[in-house]
Amino acid sequence: MSEIQRIHPPRRPISRRAMLRGMAGMGAAAAFGPTLAACSSGATPSPSAAASPSVAPSAAASQEPTPVPSPESELYVYNWTEYIGEDTISKFEDQYGIKVTYDFFDSAETMTAKISTGNSGYDVTFPTSTYIKGYVEQGFIQPLDLSLIPNKVNLAPEWQDPEYDPGNQHSMPYMWWTTGVAYDTAQIEEELTSWKALWDPRWSGKMAMLDDVRETFGAALIRLGYSVNTTSDTELDEALKLLQDQKPLLRTYTTDDIGVLSSGDVWVMHAWGADVYQVQEERDTVVYYIPEEGGVRGSDTMVLLANAKHPIAAHAFINFMLDAEVAAANTNYIGYMGPNEAAKQFIDPAILDDPTVNPDKALVAKLQEILDLGADEAKYTDRWTKLRSGA
Amino acid sequence: MPGLSWLVVFFALPLAIIFVVSLGSRDQYGGVLFEHLGFHNYARALEPELLPTVGNSFKYALATTFFSIVIAYPIAYWISRYGGRRKVLLIVLVMLPFWTSWVIRTYAWMIILRDNGVVNGLLGAVGLPGPIQLLNTDLAVILGMTYGFLPFAILPLYVSIDRLDPALVQAARDLYSGGAAAFFHVTLPLTMPGIIAAALLTFIPAIGDFVTPDLLGGAQTTTIAKVVQTLFLSARDWPFGAALGFLLIVVTIVGTVAGLRFLRQEVVG
Amino acid sequence: MRRERNPFLTVYAWIVYIFLFAPIVILILFSFNDSKRNFIWRGFTLKWYPELFGNDALLAALGVTLQVAFISVVVTTFLGTLLGLGLARLRSSRAAGASDTLILLPMVTPEVVMGISLLLFFALLFNANGSILQIAVAHIAFSISYVAIIVRARAVSLDPRMEEAARDLGASPRAAFLHVTLPLLAPAVAAGGLIAFALSFDDLIITSFNAGVGSSTLPLYIYSRIRFGVTPEINAISTIVVVSTGVAILIAMQVSARRARALATQE
Repeated sequence: MSEIQRIHPPRRPISRRAMLRGMAGMGAAAAFGPTLAACSSGATPSPSAAASPSVAPSAAASQEPTPVPSPESELYVYNWTEYIGEDTISKFEDQYGIKVTYDFFDSAETMTAKISTGNSGYDVTFPTSTYIKGYVEQGFIQPLDLSLIPNKVNLAPEWQDPEYDPGNQHSMPYMWWTTGVAYDTAQIEEELTSWKALWDPRWSGKMAMLDDVRETFGAALIRLGYSVNTTSDTELDEALKLLQDQKPLLRTYTTDDIGVLSSGDVWVMHAWGADVYQVQEERDTVVYYIPEEGGVRGSDTMVLLANAKHPIAAHAFINFMLDAEVAAANTNYIGYMGPNEAAKQFIDPAILDDPTVNPDKALVAKLQEILDLGADEAKYTDRWTKLRSGA
Repeated sequence: MPGLSWLVVFFALPLAIIFVVSLGSRDQYGGVLFEHLGFHNYARALEPELLPTVGNSFKYALATTFFSIVIAYPIAYWISRYGGRRKVLLIVLVMLPFWTSWVIRTYAWMIILRDNGVVNGLLGAVGLPGPIQLLNTDLAVILGMTYGFLPFAILPLYVSIDRLDPALVQAARDLYSGGAAAFFHVTLPLTMPGIIAAALLTFIPAIGDFVTPDLLGGAQTTTIAKVVQTLFLSARDWPFGAALGFLLIVVTIVGTVAGLRFLRQEVVG
Repeated sequence: MRRERNPFLTVYAWIVYIFLFAPIVILILFSFNDSKRNFIWRGFTLKWYPELFGNDALLAALGVTLQVAFISVVVTTFLGTLLGLGLARLRSSRAAGASDTLILLPMVTPEVVMGISLLLFFALLFNANGSILQIAVAHIAFSISYVAIIVRARAVSLDPRMEEAARDLGASPRAAFLHVTLPLLAPAVAAGGLIAFALSFDDLIITSFNAGVGSSTLPLYIYSRIRFGVTPEINAISTIVVVSTGVAILIAMQVSARRARALATQE
């Protein structure tokens, strides 16, 4: 039995990569469209405002005689429904002549289960950043050929080398958000600034927490002044005790923060910032803040799946998504902020100026990121089970 | 029987695979390790802290089954006896609401039950004090679950009641000189197979329903089904989730078969 | 035979139907809601219906769902009926007990366990990664039990002498089954079919693990939207499904009533 150690396929050397490296090195810049002649020379990226996206052999970079790898004719993308600009897919299809099949999953965990067989049939998917490390270890995703993604220079400096994926070797950031507290100013007159608001007995029965292990424990840990990625049993037990004290005051645990806040049943809630932006359309008295003790930031990324049948098309897609205008269109449609610096000039000012979606950079820098803790995740989930099942 | 072979291939075999998974353990990133196969996950699953959730599941499932059958019987009877030519239409009408997405049905219930929803709105209009908290309560959960399983109770009951010979019912009434006695001594026992079927079709899926208690219930209403769900998905602890799932299966089956045997002996004789 | 009327029961029936349709009324109402969300009524609009027809992903998902449901209903009703009938005819009570357990198993298994087990099964043995057929197979697996249970309940109260009598009169076993037993079982089979359809149409968990490229279903689409808001478009499509099914049934009823009347006048 010992040869069958893992249920997941072993990591395979990606034979395609050799081919990609050989061909792609130089000509890729030309193959993949706008905003890039400047980047190889190290100049600050400026979105080619006037230039309309043009396909493959663009005049600009024809110095390299090596043939450019042309993308396959199809691409299979796996993402949340509508987590992409309205016209993004059709624009991509028009520009590259690649037929895109866009499928959706209802939760990151379902997506993980599907790709864990190593044979999901998809090329690109959008996991949350916490999953990247685990995916790499288990061989679900393959490294990116960064030379095929020249638009990566559009990323803001703080996103060029994130903790969850140094150098963006395996992923490209897509959208990011923060987690904090939202409350209805119509019901609560005082100004709230701390995590303690979620433990305030004055609003018993009118509060809710996110139905997410790491996020909810994260809230308790930050309130106690610890790291959201701690593996210390004493610290985690303290957090558990705090959450158990809170439970009788809560109305529910849910991931539908939009629904619960919009309906008015809950006055104070542990919530994702970008979601509150949506809530405000329904109930404009709801405000959001990142507590003074600190908060959480998270992001979704784009990855190339192992055994992808259309890797070049996949790279083209990822690169396309990093284009300034495309990224801005995505943000404007979804209402989440992207990591794309160059896109900012095209983003709807209402979003740019909204602190729920786009908080102050200094504030964001202080936020913690939730990381995958491998085997130690069990410490959290065991306590979560205790919390949810206890009386 | 081809049905059996289908079940064996497409159900028993996959289940066997998961059983093997339940004997393994979770590795670093949520994969499954098969190094030390054993029943350690089952030991973990039997720890007492999970008992309240099991209790919750059974509580909701039993309440739902009871209410579903009690509500379903009269209407099944009515359709069968008084439906006339429109019987089939009336039955299909019962199923019709369930050819929509239950996400929206649940949203609809939330709109009806929430603090400034339809019910509370009506109460307020009439001048009664409120708002009463209806959503995120046990009441909401049982209401939602009963609603969701009602057709599963109505249909088998209807099928069974429809089989009754009206002459028999009439004779019983004459014999017992009273509707109620006739019902209890004749009609009810004759429709017992239908009641059993209805009970099975409601209780068993109700144990596994984690969504309704999740959305309509409050912080205290975690069910064991939800725990299994969370373990498989969020926690990516497939082995433990599998072990828990199996225990749940075993307990439910044993309980149900025992209950059935009891019913059969007591009532049908 | 004059049909009696029971006013209490009739009122009761009305109340139950109102209960059944209350959320549907809200659902239909909110499909005209002038808001991106499903929570608060903002105003009347018809815009979601045209938008719905422009939404290729949604329509494709509906198409997949209907295909899967159709396959599932046909196969499930067939297999489930045979199974239910067979179980009703079992002589020994030990076999009855064992068969009870077997058909209960798929219903008792938590959906996530069943979904993942099928995912692994198909991936490991067939190297399959999801498809309409795979989803249908999965749906059939968990629906058979429902049909079997309903058919069995009806079959146990059938008089086996009916079929024997038919055979005595010279009918082959197959003919006896088709012309005697099956019509007697018909309501149960139909009920089973209705339930199988509802189960398949709305299934999420098992489907999500067995769907593959290009085979997303309507529930998958709707669920995935929860994260970003379930727009009234979803209500609109549900309204269309409900209303069109209702209309289809009415037409079918009219047709069969007309046919019955025609037959009656012939005699």
